This record gives sequence, structure tokens and C-alpha cells, in this order.
Amino acid sequence: MNPITPFRVRIKFAKLENLRFIGHLDLQRLFERALNRTGLPLRYTQGFSPKIRINIASALPLGFISSAEVFDFWLNAPVDLQEIREKLQAALPKDLQILDIQEIPNQAPSLQASVYLSEYSITLPDTYAQNNIKAKLSHLLASETIPVERRGKTVDIRPMIKEWALFSKDGSTVLYLQMDSSATSNGRPDELLKLLDIDPADVIIERTKLIFEE
Amino acid sequence: MTLIDKKLLEKILYHVEKPGRYVGGEHNMVLKDWQSVETRVALAFPDIYDLGQANLGLSILYELINDRPNILAERVFSPWHDMEDALREHHIPFFSLESKTPIKDFDILGITLPYESIYTNVLNLLDLSVIPLRSEQREAHYPLVIAGGQACFNPEPMADFIDAFAIGDGEEVIFEIIHTYQEWKSQNQNKIVLLNNLAKINGVYVPSLYEVKYFDDGRINKVQPFTEDIPKTVLKRISPALPAPIKKQIVPNTQIVHDRIAVEIMRGCTRGCRFCHAGIVNRPVRQRNPKDILEAIDLGVKATGYEELSLLSLSSSDHTQILDITKAVYEQNKTRRLSVSLPSLRIESFSVDLMDELKELRPGGGFTIAPEAATDRMRAVINKPLADEILFETVETIFDHGWLNLKMYYMIGLPGERMEDVEAILDTARKVQQIGKRRHGNRIRVHVSIGTFIPKPHTPFQWANSEDPESVQDKLDFLREGMRQSKIKLSYNRPDSTLLEAWLSRGDRRLGQVIERAWQNGAKFDAWDEGFKKEYWYQAFEESGIDPGFYINRQRQSDEIFPWDHISTGVSKEFLLEEYEMSQREETRTDCRKGCHVCGILDCFSDIRPNEQEVYWGCP
Repeated sequence: MNPITPFRVRIKFAKLENLRFIGHLDLQRLFERALNRTGLPLRYTQGFSPKIRINIASALPLGFISSAEVFDFWLNAPVDLQEIREKLQAALPKDLQILDIQEIPNQAPSLQASVYLSEYSITLPDTYAQNNIKAKLSHLLASETIPVERRGKTVDIRPMIKEWALFSKDGSTVLYLQMDSSATSNGRPDELLKLLDIDPADVIIERTKLIFEE
Repeated sequence: MTLIDKKLLEKILYHVEKPGRYVGGEHNMVLKDWQSVETRVALAFPDIYDLGQANLGLSILYELINDRPNILAERVFSPWHDMEDALREHHIPFFSLESKTPIKDFDILGITLPYESIYTNVLNLLDLSVIPLRSEQREAHYPLVIAGGQACFNPEPMADFIDAFAIGDGEEVIFEIIHTYQEWKSQNQNKIVLLNNLAKINGVYVPSLYEVKYFDDGRINKVQPFTEDIPKTVLKRISPALPAPIKKQIVPNTQIVHDRIAVEIMRGCTRGCRFCHAGIVNRPVRQRNPKDILEAIDLGVKATGYEELSLLSLSSSDHTQILDITKAVYEQNKTRRLSVSLPSLRIESFSVDLMDELKELRPGGGFTIAPEAATDRMRAVINKPLADEILFETVETIFDHGWLNLKMYYMIGLPGERMEDVEAILDTARKVQQIGKRRHGNRIRVHVSIGTFIPKPHTPFQWANSEDPESVQDKLDFLREGMRQSKIKLSYNRPDSTLLEAWLSRGDRRLGQVIERAWQNGAKFDAWDEGFKKEYWYQAFEESGIDPGFYINRQRQSDEIFPWDHISTGVSKEFLLEEYEMSQREETRTDCRKGCHVCGILDCFSDIRPNEQEVYWGCP
């Protein structure tokens, strides 16, 4: 069908404000339509009902914001990256901001297969911060297992938590977390917050980094 | 102006189902600076975003208003139960999608009333917005509450709650209403002045300026304006030509129904099916020409990025240039990935040709036809003649051309219906299934959808009664059993929800108290199968001392005054009565393109009829 080598483009983007309440499948559809509006020579998937070829690295849970989301899409011909960036940004809602764009070798591994860690930053309200959160967290993470319920099954989330830190920033207490973020093991900061008696709805959880295997 | 506490709102959104419904921020949304405009209009569709955002009328008005510099329009949809609970718990007045401004801070609240089962949601929306329900309780500082849409051709059941109704096409009258509002506001006068001024706009009905007198038996004796300067009859408005297609259709961030581009190709219908409300109230037929349709499609695709499009009309096959249109649409889009659907096709082989033209554009799914009745006699009664040979021939062609799924619409409970007419629906469905099986074996699917007839206002059947629900249920049970045996899929409306629609569409203004009580009892989302609870309504009728049967059980005398008689669709009551009498004699009437039957519409609107070369009207 397409003899030319596909031109693979990687976009790093921020998901902010209103768009934090748009889920992963909706985001996928939103990107398809936005790409359609750009008029770029999009590449479609093969098969009975072809779709615009898009690959989003990692599903961001509903309600989180992010400054580190990544997705790939493919074109049938090379296009200047700055032109792509401008056209795509113009087609996106303002709460989706393109942070970076690059060309990726077509044979590079898929994003979903290579992402394995995420970093999160959670700014805690004073009411929680003063409540000796550090001691609670240390105590909790000292346990060998931390069982939580996920869809009726018990899952141990302790091994998913790789690093953590509490620090002060602009007068607020910020919780830093590094957690697993792969198809087989996916840490959820909101689960940890609930164990610390923090309502995830009271804080803003921001994904600040996705880490990929080299 | 007070904005909603953003922090609190975000906390609430974190916990509700599908929070994307409440945040806006979609592509093509218009967010204007409040201080930069004189008048702010909230456009409400009182059901959830997932349904309301697809409404074409709302989208048209939204764009038309926001295209003008001095006014703004923002959208409002009903919150789902979980969101409503949270809003009430935190005492948050309900707000618009764009700027999250409380609805009570807008100048005008324009409510779409597309069907009657949405009425309790209107009350709920006002209540959530901390706006008094009844027009008489709302002083000048509250928003002016106006309503439009197909249900407004009988405005009476909602007369207590709506300040003014816009009858008919809204594209022009909305600006006359806004202008009148602006003038009134600059003069700092009381609300009665505003209502009087509004009532003088053509097509605007202000119910509080009319008095209704009743006979002892409950029938209407007289409806008249309190003062002589108010029109006795309100004639609907029409747009002489279809409005320019939407340039920037909003692209929802979450999934909604009819999630695609909508291009209206024709308004109105010349067929004259006697049960059809839309066919009467949307006269005359006005077509969009092929060039404008193609432009609208191009514009739509570029502005939205949708890969799906629907060409809308009440009867697509009747567009005089429909074959040219489908050919041109195919040529225009064959290199794009756009699937195009063409609903409301007549039952004839020509329709299959039309669909063939679009077939490579993946018109998703199956083929739908609407015979509505299954015997020649019944089809004469409803004036939708169709010979069985043509039906089966068309079905054969549909299957021959590769469609495997066929959906057929029928009605039961029609005036003069006998059991043999219902049995014929089952027989026809079985024959259709056999035709499909001969061609494709067990791969084909036949789906029969049954609607229960409601004698709608302004139709020739407005004098007829509704069949009682037990007898309708018997007919449904018969069909259900028969279709089950033949493995034909059957869907139908629950007889009690049909009953609600019948009461509300035929009611007079005494139903206002019933609607209010039903809402107080807990009724809302009546259009939803899981939402509608008939007990709320029976209790409300009882508490109000009103017998619901009064509205739907009686076959009416020809001289009875209907609650909607002072609202004119342009089609005369004499013409409708003549049609009703013809139906009782099982006589049909030809399509009015073949010769004018003097329904009255041209008498009302011939002075604004555009040049035939510019806009084709269906009237001869």
C-alpha cells in the first residue's frame, strides 16, 4: 500500500486543567480528530477498518495533570517538525500543550513497550503536611508488603514504589514519587495517598516524567 | 457576577462519573469575555451533555449568537444524578459549561424543548440554578426564561414556567428577542413591560398574557389575550432559506450520541403522513442546494476532524437533486476517510441506488426503512401508501446489494387498527427475513422497531384517542412472541412512557401543577427508561385532582377547541379535519409537490418565499 518509509513523530505534551478530566480513550479519539484537522499526510493502520496510527505511551489516570506525556504518530512523508508542531498545536484544545517534538527512527521500539517508570509530584495542602506525613509515610513504606484492593483482587503495591521524597517548595510540602509504569506493573499514587488518609481529590497529582528503557 | 469555587468544583469532579461532561474546553468552543458584551444568553438542553451536545438547533443558535460582537452564548446541560447530588450537597448553583458562571447571572436562559419527556428536567434545572420555577415568581433581576423547539407547538403544559416561547424556526426570532430584551433593560422597567414587548414579536407566545376559560366538563371554552394589543393567534416563524451551515461545530472531548458532522440538506416534508408531527409543523419544504451542501461538508471536515458525517432531513429521497448530491459527495470524499450516512430513505429501489453511491464511503451498519404499517388499508389510513410488491422488491435489492442488517420501523395503536393489521407486521417481517436468508443464509439480521402511536397536536390525528395501554401491551406481547419464534430482533417503547408523552403533548395549562408535583415527587430524566417512574405521575395527577385519561381517551368532536389552537403552524384546522375525515374513509392524498392541497402554509408565508432559483420550496 505505502512503499515509502513512514515518518515517525514523537510529541511530548502537557495535559492540564480541564483536560485532566478527559480519560485515555477519549484522549486517543481527541488526538485522531486533531491530527485530522491539521491536514498532514497521516498514516493509517492496516486492516479492515483503518484508523489513524497513534501510540500513546501511558494512560494517565483521570484527574491527574501532567507535564510529561508522550505519544507517537506516523506520516506518509517527511514534514518539517516546526510546521507539524504549529499545525498540531493550533488543532488542540488549549489545555493540551506541545512541549517538544522530534523525529524517531521508524524501527524504534514502541512507547508502550519501553516505558517502565513514572515520576509524580504531589503538592500537599498545609492541613495534611502538618499532620506528620513524613512519619506516616516512612512507617508505611517500611512494610514489606502494602496490599490494596484493585477490582476485587489484592495487589501488593510496595514493590511498585521505587523512590520517594518529601521536600519544601514555595512554602508547600511536595511529595515526590517514582513508581512502576508498565503494562505488567503500574503504580498509582492515588492509592498510596488514600493509605495516608489523604483524599486524592484534595491535591493535584502531576506526572512530571516518563522513563523509557534505552 | 460570582464564579464557582474552582477548587471545590475540581474536588467534586474527581468523584463523579464522566467528569468530562462538565468541563467544556472543547475544540471550537467559544469563550467570550463577559465584560465585552451587553447581553449573555445561556442555551440549555435539559438532559446530559452526552445527548444534548448533539442537538443541531442548539449548535446553530450557539454559533449565530456568538458570531455577533455584542452578545455571547454559553451552553448548559443537565447534571447526571451523582453530579446533582454533589451540587446540592455543597450548595453550588448550577453553572454554564464555558465560563462556569451561575445560570442565574445570565440575562436570558433559552431552553430547548425537543420532546415532552424533558419537562421535569427543565424544572430541575431551574431549581438547581436557584431560579424560581414559575414565571410569576421571577422578578426582573432573574434571567428571562424562553423556550423553543418541536415540543413548543403545544406550549400550554409548560406555560406556568416559561416566560416566552419562540414558535417555529429560531434563527431569526432569537435576535428580535435579544434586541427587545436589550431595549427593555436600558429603560429599567418592570418585567410585565418586557413580556408585553416580547408578545408583539411575530412568532413569540407569552402565555401569561392569555386567559383560558373552561366548560364545566373540563373542555376548553375560550383562549384569548387579556388585552387587545396582543395577537389572538401566534403564527410560527420560518426561515425562508435554511441557515448557513455551521462553520465551527464543537468537537466533544468525551463520547456523545451522534458523534459526527451534521449537515441539514432539507427542512420539512411534503409526504403528509397523518401521524407525523414533524411533517406538519416544519412545512414548507426548503432545500439546500448541492453546491452549498458540498461546501458545508468540506467546511465541517476541516473544522472538526470528524471521519463521520450525516446528511439530515425528514425524507432524504425527496430532495429533488439527491442523486446528484450523493454522486458529488462520493467524488468529493473518495480520497478522504469519511463515512457518510443518509437516513430517512423512502422504500423504493432508488434508495438503494443512493446508498450504493455512498457505499464506498462506508455508510456504517445496516439499512433502515420505515413502512410504519403493514396492510394496504392501514397505510391508506395513515396516508403512507406502499404496495407490498414494492416493499419486498426493495428489500430484495437491499440484500442483493450486500447489506446484511435491515431495520424496519412500524407503529401500533393507530386509529382504526385491527388485530389483522398487527399480525401483518409479523408476517411481513418473516417474509423479509426469508428474502434475506435466501440470499445470504443466517448472516442476515432483521430488526423490527415498534413505536406506539400518539395522536399529536397539529396533525390530522389530533381528534383521535390513544389506545389503552393494556390493549397495546397485548399487541406487543403478540409481536414479541412471534418475533422470538422467528429470531427477529424486536424493540419497542414501554407503553407507560408512551402514555406520559401522550399526556404531556396533548395537555393544557392545568398540567403545569401536575408537572411540578411530579417533579416534587421525584420525577426527572423521564426520557430515560431507568428514569421514568409512572407512580410519580399518577400520584401527581391525583394530588392535582386531574384525570389523565381526559387528555387522551376521548375521540374529539370536530368543534372541540384544543389547548394549542391559538398556536398556528400555518396549516389550517380545516385542512387537518378534512385529512382526518379522509383517513376514516381510508382515502389517501398525493404528495403535495404533485399539486397543492391548500393546507394553508403558502397563504401564511408566500410573501417571504424566495426566488425559486435561489431556494427550492416544496410547494408548487
